[in-house]
Amino acid sequence: MNSAPVGPLFVSPPVAAAVDWARVLPVLVALPAVAILVWGMVRGRLPPYMGVAVLVLTLASYGFGMLMVMEESKDIRFCGSCHVMTPIVESLRATDGESLAAIHYTRGLVPTSQACYTCHSGYGIWGTFDAKKAGTMHMLRNLTGSYTFPLELHGTFDIASCLGCHAGAASFRAVAAHQDHDVQEALLSHTMACTGACHPAAHPEAALTGGGAAS
Amino acid sequence: MMRVACLLALIALAILILTAVHLDGASATMFSFIGIPALAAALVLYVIQRWRVGAFRRTPRSSTS
Repeated sequence: MNSAPVGPLFVSPPVAAAVDWARVLPVLVALPAVAILVWGMVRGRLPPYMGVAVLVLTLASYGFGMLMVMEESKDIRFCGSCHVMTPIVESLRATDGESLAAIHYTRGLVPTSQACYTCHSGYGIWGTFDAKKAGTMHMLRNLTGSYTFPLELHGTFDIASCLGCHAGAASFRAVAAHQDHDVQEALLSHTMACTGACHPAAHPEAALTGGGAAS
Repeated sequence: MMRVACLLALIALAILILTAVHLDGASATMFSFIGIPALAAALVLYVIQRWRVGAFRRTPRSSTS
């Protein structure tokens, strides 16, 4: 399947800002700080008022920069930019129904530009915080090469990410297995997972072992 | 010391600009594990330098009344 959009109607997210302020603002604030710092390096000293100015500008630019990284790292292109994740992101476009993630992605059941983030972050501010903390650890593991194939989820998958969309759906409630009290208890206590027993694996085995995507 | 602090802050800002221009796993890794520590080190050096010249010392004010 060709992932390239064939017209503006298929671009996701649909509305693009004329100026990407999330990226422009940190640079705009950083440039005067760079000028002052170069001046300080040449002179070997900074007057107190210039020191305060460069302190404020540098901290502000890094604050804006952190917001930019926090927001734009939700994009699946960011997730797939590390070699270890590339096969997993490529496997999302498979239309053979082999993986649960691909089913959600190809049917548009999750925002296609933030598919990874949608399922792998919990709800609320702590969900975002935990996702960013896990992402930082992923970067560290990728940098040090301290990971093994096949890739495995650290801990249990938060079923709230599934229920956030499915719990209220009539089609989900109508399934006999979902109405079974024991199954509900097992799912909520994490002794049973949605995948494996009833639904296909979240990602294809080939992608988790660093191989190519299933077509 | 001031030159080292300025150099570290410049390295941190160069990484920030690189990250803003091209955000991917590599630039975000540099931002997190080189840029932020470099900025923190620059701040510490700047504060130490200001402390050594007595910027944080309390000076008694002369009173006219």
